[in-house]
Amino acid sequence: MLPDTVHKLPREERFAYARLLAYIARIDDELTIDEMAMFEQRLGTALLSPNQREMIRDDLRNPPSLEECMENLSGEAGRLALRDAVMMAAADGNVDEDERDALEDISEVLGLKEDAVDQLLQWTVKGYRWMKEGYDILDNLEE
Amino acid sequence: MFPDGLSHRSPQELRRYAEVLVYIAAADGELVREEIAVIEAMMGRCMIHPEVRVDIRSGFEHPVPLEQSLMDLEHGLIRFILRDAAFVAAIDGSYDPKEIKALKAIAKAGEVSKEDLSSLLDWVGDGWNWYQDFSKIL
Repeated sequence: MLPDTVHKLPREERFAYARLLAYIARIDDELTIDEMAMFEQRLGTALLSPNQREMIRDDLRNPPSLEECMENLSGEAGRLALRDAVMMAAADGNVDEDERDALEDISEVLGLKEDAVDQLLQWTVKGYRWMKEGYDILDNLEE
Repeated sequence: MFPDGLSHRSPQELRRYAEVLVYIAAADGELVREEIAVIEAMMGRCMIHPEVRVDIRSGFEHPVPLEQSLMDLEHGLIRFILRDAAFVAAIDGSYDPKEIKALKAIAKAGEVSKEDLSSLLDWVGDGWNWYQDFSKIL
């Protein structure tokens, strides 16, 4: 929705990016509407082919392992995937322990700073505040 | 990217929503990959049915006239459309005069003042800055 670079990645990396999001979406065996909406939004951004989207939706039913997901993920695609995984995990207003552990695992595999997930969560909270401001603007327009 | 306030809208309303976004993207006469990506993202976010998305994509070539898409929509929905249309218009880094003209037409249809439209555009800019901060983290 905002300026992004996911669509500029090579196709196989966009696919790997989306698989990782499918993995995160299913990590707590529960997929809320908010998470699903976020997931579909990111699939849209990735500009996957219809066939690839179907394969990714299959991954939602039968989640791949983290190792499978990390295959074909370059540094940039991995960082974008972690960023969006954090936003998706937070989409229902809560990041549970399993989600948090998975995010930390991804960060470690990518070789990121120890506090990368913490920083991304703080960044996500700022984003939610900004989105709330947008709602406030729209609410204040009501007659 | 976030819960969007559109989840309770009917499929027909969401179709009109997406038609307007396509119109905005095509307004400056060129459709860049960033614009297609953001429209696909917004269609995904409000979970428009995949078959309907195929129809909506045909608008990339022949957009539905703005007046037709906005006809008879309630102001509340038009304002959400305005918000997301502003995102689409800004996605390639600047507002084209034709995009601004279309945004003003949407604002008028939703009875949104020039000042409030200006606030919305500022808010989009703030979001842009927030999003870019990600690169400082990773």
